[in-house]
Amino acid sequence: MRPDRRLALAGITSLLGMAGTGLMPQPAMAQRRGGTLVLVVQPEPPTLGSYISTALPVGQVATKIYDGLLEYDFDLKPLPSLAESWTVSDGGRTVTFRLRSGVKFHDGQPFTSADVQFTVMEVLKKVHPRGINTFSEVTAIETPDPQTAIFRLTRPAPYMMMALSGYESPILPKHVFGQGDIRSHQNANSPVGTGPFRFVQWRRGEFVRLDRNPDYWKPGLPYLDRIVVRFIGDTGTRAAALEKGEAHVAGFGAVPYNDVRRLERLPNIRIETRGYEMLSPVVELMFNTRKPPFDNVRVRQAISFSIDRQFVIDNMWFGFGKPTNGPISSNFAPSGFYSADVMNYNVPDGVDRANRLLDEAGFPRRADGTRFEIVHDITPYGEEWRRFGEYTQQALARIGIKASLRYEDVATWLRRVYTDYDYDVSSNSLFNLADPVLGVHRAFHSRFIRPGTVFVNGVRWSDPRADELMDQATIEPDPRKRAELYTEIQKIVVAAAPLAWTHEINYATVLDRRYRDVIVSPLGLFGSFDRAWRE
Amino acid sequence: MHGTRLVRYALLRLLQAVPVVLGVVVLNFLLLQLAPGDAATVLAGEAGGAPPEYVAELRARFGLDQPMLVQLGLYLKNILLLDLGYSFRNSAPVLDLILERLWPTLLLMGATFVLSVGGGVVVGLLAALWVRTWRDHLISVVAVIAYATPLFWIGLMLILVFSIWLDWFPTSGMEDVVAFNEGWARIIDIAHHLVLPTITLSLFYLALYTRLMRATVLEQRGAEYVTTARAKGLTEGRITMRHILRNALLPVVTMAGVQVGALLGGSVVVETVFAWPGLGQLAFQSLFARDFNLLLGIFFLSACLVVIVNLMVDVIYVLLDPRIRVGGA
Repeated sequence: MRPDRRLALAGITSLLGMAGTGLMPQPAMAQRRGGTLVLVVQPEPPTLGSYISTALPVGQVATKIYDGLLEYDFDLKPLPSLAESWTVSDGGRTVTFRLRSGVKFHDGQPFTSADVQFTVMEVLKKVHPRGINTFSEVTAIETPDPQTAIFRLTRPAPYMMMALSGYESPILPKHVFGQGDIRSHQNANSPVGTGPFRFVQWRRGEFVRLDRNPDYWKPGLPYLDRIVVRFIGDTGTRAAALEKGEAHVAGFGAVPYNDVRRLERLPNIRIETRGYEMLSPVVELMFNTRKPPFDNVRVRQAISFSIDRQFVIDNMWFGFGKPTNGPISSNFAPSGFYSADVMNYNVPDGVDRANRLLDEAGFPRRADGTRFEIVHDITPYGEEWRRFGEYTQQALARIGIKASLRYEDVATWLRRVYTDYDYDVSSNSLFNLADPVLGVHRAFHSRFIRPGTVFVNGVRWSDPRADELMDQATIEPDPRKRAELYTEIQKIVVAAAPLAWTHEINYATVLDRRYRDVIVSPLGLFGSFDRAWRE
Repeated sequence: MHGTRLVRYALLRLLQAVPVVLGVVVLNFLLLQLAPGDAATVLAGEAGGAPPEYVAELRARFGLDQPMLVQLGLYLKNILLLDLGYSFRNSAPVLDLILERLWPTLLLMGATFVLSVGGGVVVGLLAALWVRTWRDHLISVVAVIAYATPLFWIGLMLILVFSIWLDWFPTSGMEDVVAFNEGWARIIDIAHHLVLPTITLSLFYLALYTRLMRATVLEQRGAEYVTTARAKGLTEGRITMRHILRNALLPVVTMAGVQVGALLGGSVVVETVFAWPGLGQLAFQSLFARDFNLLLGIFFLSACLVVIVNLMVDVIYVLLDPRIRVGGA
């Protein structure tokens, strides 16, 4: 009986598949209404105001409640969402969005262009940590009618079109958030949006409960009755809850990689590595480039040569990664922004070349075999980072650099690296986000040397040519020309090695097999789960 | 007469506790200033990088740009008005946050207290009665193991055995968040979730009280009043229950009173392992987020709790041992 039914379904699937277009639910199997999905998020979000905090836990909850103007497919191509269509004119300085009609907020009020204007101009441009940059070129939003929003820009900002998802730019109701101080708004933690799920309750330390929005604008969606987001502080317990089927979905390293490998073998668990393409974390070693000996390019190159990328991926990240040399993730290969045509540090004779470089740089080995001593600050993000720090110590020892390790808590480490610059070498992973302008420039453009601002140019490297190229790429509307600019930028920074990029992280999402269509876009767990369903 | 004296004594003690609690608040405030980094850095860090204007604005909004003494003065003034302030990280008043998490903590602490003190007294008494038999040795060995095993490990093992293998108890949480039970079903559900965390947190204290109880019972059994009682012809059972037990309880009660504070500390681990939504976890998270308003609020409440429990212990003394009189007033 069963195989027959599956065959029949396959037939239906292929038929529907032809008719299926961007927005339509992918008809994989007969989706079923009902069921509760338990998502594990770690740590508990401090707030549900995703317009003011881009922290990963906040985004995973709030994206079920708020929609964005756009969604994206796996090639990072924009798709309609609250905006039905859009046109870019005036050399990229005018963007006109045609908004969907008949959309209602969870409180029953209609969604109009006034909400878009308010959200971007009054909220995202002012208080969103990344929106301040994303929308910096937007001077005004005109609303000739409730279904039209016209963005006026001083200069073209092609990257802005990549930052309009429900995660990056959630659309808020003006009639709710328009009154009172947006920074400490009472509705931050009782959000009202247009998304497939409505906020019901947040019991701190336990869960957030989201119930199905019966008036969702996508007909027939969502399939699930409820999403419960649970907070479980202990890694072992998180894995146990998933193993037992008490919880159904967990990603972003909520389950450590060694547990992922163990859970993968269970019959009720599936592992998914897609769904992080709009984040694209790249791991880097940071050098304090204004402090000797790291002001010497040969020293930085030598350290980059000393890291065996595949070893790190296999042993620290349990295989969830991909070796790299440069700052831009290979997820940008379809758009041409990623370039492999850079200096290659990932070579079999890396240690020999590193030793030669250090000899040339004027740091000969002393009698005890060491060249100089440094302190390596471990990234305080958890197990794999601690092991990565220990590996780096060993790798450096092989080329005669004696490193002692320092491990501090997140706040102390952030201050050391991004405010006091009181470090030699540290590591981090920065998200590329949906466009290099949003996620890549900040790591080495000299405009981003900002004491006190975290996750920017903490290496304090500055190169006029690279800056100029990045400034051009920022406003270049032609994708092909932008790709050429990024090819050149990558060539320059990889050779100069202000940071040593080692690998792209492939986050793993642990899924209960009974739940389908949970990860359906590059936004992954930042998707709205409107198409997720339970067998 | 005795009753009114007890009440007057209690009130006086409470009054005396005010400067103690304030001292704790000031000390905590100053200690927290020593921690590097502040809430604005952490929030900006979680945001994945933010412009300096944003961080500066956060700092101004949190009042972190004020001189330290001004901050302290403001905080003390608010505490005296019982205003614990606002947690910017959680976008909620500190008092609300704490009260929300207080009752799960009290539930876990209460259950642990009953199990560890009650169990410790009974097992310790039995061990003393069975002294130097195999049963006494068994109890002692188990107690030492329970005493020496780390809490988190016990918790994880209990989850593995009783939740995953045997499927008797849920792995974590305080109630079933898929079912959302109500009424009696909810109470039973919570009790069901309470079992493993209570056992985990109790084992250490259970072992401690067992050892203590065994030692004091043995000591009391050699005391002269026991010989006297025996000479008077009382049965062994009556001597144990009426005389030895009451006297042997005093050190256990003292110990239990002192350890209420430690119980809060131990509950951080257990709450984390079992995702129990209590104060311990909240304190832990707020420390790493440098959410000092919230942390100071929790410290303040803990200090009050310890003061109250100690007072209760003193009152229990009087009830247990008529020789102890309340004095002072």
